[in-house]
Amino acid sequence: MATTVVGAAFLLLLLLPFSISQPISDSHRSAASDLFNKISPSLEDAYEALRVFEILAIEKKPPVTTDTCHTVLENLGSSSSPLKDLFYALKVSGILKCDVDGAVLKKIASRLKATVHDASTLLDIYYSVGSLVLIKDQDSNVDVLLTDADEIFRSIKALSQSDGRWRYSSNNPESSTYAAGLALEALAGVISLASSEIDQSKQVSIVKNDIAKLFDRIEKYDDGAYYFDEKFVSGSEHQDSLSTTSSVVRGVTSFAAVTSGRINLPGDTILGLAKFFLGIGIPGDTKDFFNQVESLSFLESNRISIPLILSLPETVYSLTKKGQLKVKVNTVLGSAAPPLTVKLIRAFSTGAKDSAIIDSKELQYNQNGGFHFLDAFPKNVDVGTYVFVFEIVLHDSDSEKIYVAGGQIHVPIYVTGIIKVGSAEIAVLDSDLGNVETHKTLDLAGNDVVSLSANHLQKLRLSFELESPRGRLFKPHQAFLKLTHETKIEHIFLVGNTGKKFENVFDFLGLVEKLFYLSGRYEIELTVGDAVMENSFSRLLGHVELDLPEAPEKAARPPSPPVDPYSRYGPKAEINHIFRVPEKRPHQKLSLVFLGLILLPFIGFLVGLLRLGVNLKNFPGSTVPATFGFLFHLGLAAVLLLYVLFWLKLDLFTTLKTLGLLGAFTMFVGHRILSHLALTSSKLKSA
Amino acid sequence: MAKLIFVVLLTLIPILCTSFSPEKPSDRRILVLLDDFAVKSSHSLFFKSLQSRGFDLEFKLADDPKIALQRYGQYLYDALVLFCPTIERFGGSIDAAAVLDFVDSGHDLIVGADNNASDLIREIATECGVDFDEDSAAMVVDHSGYAVSSTEGDHTLIASDDFIKSDVILGSKKIEAPVLFQGIGHSLNPSNSLVLKVLSASPTAFSANPKSKLTSPPSLIGSSISLVSVIQARNNARILISGSLSMFSNRFFRSDVQKAGSPTKHDKSGNEQFFTELSKWVLHERGHLKAVNVQHHKVGETNEPSIYRINDDLEYSVEIYEWSGTTWEPYVADDVQIQFYMMSPYVLKTLSNDSKGRYFTSFKVPDVYGVFQFKIEYERLGYTSLSLSKQIPVRPFRHNEYERFIPAAYPYYGAAFSMMAGFFVFSAVHLYNK
Repeated sequence: MATTVVGAAFLLLLLLPFSISQPISDSHRSAASDLFNKISPSLEDAYEALRVFEILAIEKKPPVTTDTCHTVLENLGSSSSPLKDLFYALKVSGILKCDVDGAVLKKIASRLKATVHDASTLLDIYYSVGSLVLIKDQDSNVDVLLTDADEIFRSIKALSQSDGRWRYSSNNPESSTYAAGLALEALAGVISLASSEIDQSKQVSIVKNDIAKLFDRIEKYDDGAYYFDEKFVSGSEHQDSLSTTSSVVRGVTSFAAVTSGRINLPGDTILGLAKFFLGIGIPGDTKDFFNQVESLSFLESNRISIPLILSLPETVYSLTKKGQLKVKVNTVLGSAAPPLTVKLIRAFSTGAKDSAIIDSKELQYNQNGGFHFLDAFPKNVDVGTYVFVFEIVLHDSDSEKIYVAGGQIHVPIYVTGIIKVGSAEIAVLDSDLGNVETHKTLDLAGNDVVSLSANHLQKLRLSFELESPRGRLFKPHQAFLKLTHETKIEHIFLVGNTGKKFENVFDFLGLVEKLFYLSGRYEIELTVGDAVMENSFSRLLGHVELDLPEAPEKAARPPSPPVDPYSRYGPKAEINHIFRVPEKRPHQKLSLVFLGLILLPFIGFLVGLLRLGVNLKNFPGSTVPATFGFLFHLGLAAVLLLYVLFWLKLDLFTTLKTLGLLGAFTMFVGHRILSHLALTSSKLKSA
Repeated sequence: MAKLIFVVLLTLIPILCTSFSPEKPSDRRILVLLDDFAVKSSHSLFFKSLQSRGFDLEFKLADDPKIALQRYGQYLYDALVLFCPTIERFGGSIDAAAVLDFVDSGHDLIVGADNNASDLIREIATECGVDFDEDSAAMVVDHSGYAVSSTEGDHTLIASDDFIKSDVILGSKKIEAPVLFQGIGHSLNPSNSLVLKVLSASPTAFSANPKSKLTSPPSLIGSSISLVSVIQARNNARILISGSLSMFSNRFFRSDVQKAGSPTKHDKSGNEQFFTELSKWVLHERGHLKAVNVQHHKVGETNEPSIYRINDDLEYSVEIYEWSGTTWEPYVADDVQIQFYMMSPYVLKTLSNDSKGRYFTSFKVPDVYGVFQFKIEYERLGYTSLSLSKQIPVRPFRHNEYERFIPAAYPYYGAAFSMMAGFFVFSAVHLYNK
């Protein structure tokens, strides 16, 4: 939980520009018009919208229509509607002035009175009492006075705890700060409804005591804002600190309104609560918005003490524009404060807290604008950051009792101005003697650039002067000199001052290692800036060609320059496959010519045979050997044809299979014909 | 038993229906962890813009002992918003490792840090490749690019307009007004190639304690300072890290803005547009691609073969769609490339598209055989990466697929056949001559 509180405190500080808060202004009004723009069916939401618009006095009506009045009447007419609905229906009708019949109200009043007696939970009592108070306000003819107010008062008080918190019901032991707010409001209602002057003094003083105890539980932010925080409560909805604080404020202020005598609460606490609500800024949630605005409206007109908020429309004062330093004092909702004087007690520079530049000065009041102003800054105020300490002094001693202004208020003020930049020069020096080799003056306001060259034995000196508008030395927050190498490697140097002069001497011999021994062109860029310097600048002074020695082997490598993120994502270059080139072949005609040449020997063979006068007279004459002979040559022809087919279309397997069959056949018939021929020739020989 | 399983399934249905799925990649359920419930109200415009886009936000205090990211091994949320810069330890079972596991399982993360960011938040950021300035009092200060304000004089309220150039991350509509920033700067880890600067500081900015004098050059300086960064992890989980929580606040959303040195005053800062668009990207309403219907076949055929032969002509097509938050829209780009890959790409070709999401091309299979892949490695700035690969073997020619009637070989054929004819004639002459 501690971290939550710390976190919350921190966040609040972030939301607040400073510890001073601005009262509710027009931005709140326009935000309200934007936020409450939807018609919500729930009467609670409708009431919140109406109430916010009423408090902020927004002309435009919230988007609740006659339908809402219709719902109100429906709720009031029904005898079984829940207390909560009844309560909000009455609240809405109070603002919208719905035409509610007196008889209806009477019926409700009697029902509510009965409920109050029997009610056991705080919420039931709260809603019933609240509704009765509303009926009393709306129709004076209805008798809403409670005869046994004392008893009811006690029954509510019975739920209180010793630490100032309340329980929701008698059988629920958990106590809650939120419930305390509800209970106090209910008690206030009971007092206002009492038919006879009840024996208040004793009871009321006990309750006042309870309030004091409740305020002991208050928590505080660093900037002086006070708030109530609800610890986790099991069984009921968790309330955040805004609604809890808001509930307490509502309860305490309404209780204070009906009781005589003051409730003694320190003014700082009330102011702190106001700061808490204002510090939220403009909430984005309708519920939060309502809680904030309603609580502020209670603080605006409470009987304990009314907080006054000191605010400055501007905390940046420009010496060149010579404006006025304006201070506004308003109530939390932005309405005018009683006659008062704003005193500037002290103003001192943040750097030198002891020497005040202004001591005890009264601010003048501008009647038309409704603000206090410091007509002129004393001559000795120079640029810088200051803390102004204001105090609000009320004119009337009576109003001091009513209002709380919160003592001394510290406000940080920035006084800005134009800083004179002058006598800028850049020079290259010889290291050992300090002789100036090249020397160039610069106009830092212009755009001219210089180009220099140097080697590692030389020095580069840059100097310039900064002078505040009052002629004093000005030390800026940011005085950087940047050397950027061609490879985008940057080196940053702070420029220090000696006396009035800002000077930076680069002894390159000592810097070679830092520069990674990178020779080449370096761009020189000077950036001077400060929060109070209106002419902060960053400009390129020129470049220097550096001639540095070769890097020794052990020297640190320069870091790789940052990769451009866009380059990682582009499409890649296309790749086309390079196919193997087919082997070079002779021209087709050449092949055909050679084919012809190849066929020539065969033709020669045939011609030779004819010339020799070959014959086939040895072919057997008888039928059986002739058949075999014929078949043998047919087989041979078939085998050769198979070879042709093998070339043309067949594959090896078909060819071999067919060749096997044909071979066996040809061998068989070949054997028969050859043996026949051999027999014939041997017969011939032997014969 | 069967009844029990049925009941369990029935209770799971609503969870299954609304959870993150490849078919509907937008997140639905978001856990928002806060330091203080006041943030819920002070940053309500940002939350409302999420809710109006259909996200289901659950707000919890970061140290709530009941918070959990997963139950029974199932993640309860699709995205996590950490608006709790000062939290030192989360409540419940969540710690830095749990948050990183959440991201590792493909869920999204939005971190709003601030100066005084706790070590826990810094650790989570460091794991994502973002290093916040180590000096906890440091803020980004820019004496030349600050937002003109009559109440803030220390120049830590920066108006920045150095955005990343990416339509998919920041939307196609140009952000006219500068974005207000107040908080801590960070640098990107140079070894992390997934992290991107979305909003960078100007060259005159630096990160230092605005209240104390500088004694040494600040570690973060110039445009290397990142103000808002995003990371898209390899599993397409997206992370947004901002150095300022107040950037998301209603005050900054509504504030007018004038950059120092610029004459134009904008009525409204660019913060709302910037974060609305950026959150669309982070929560996968934009830039999420899917590739479906990968087809490849030989030219003139329609069926997908199981193997290609070298030198085949093939056609390849794929359909790519982008998620628009509600529907899958055709994705149109002219830089989608296909690789035909075996150890290294043999063919790399840009696909043509028909503007309806279909990408196609045709090419010749290289004359190298082996096991190839059709590969699409599509990585573009801001888009989820597409990585498709499909294995396909490529074989050489079969023995009978080579060329058969080569004219250059006719003399050899002629020789053989004339030899055969001669043999036939000779055999007859030899046997029967008298």
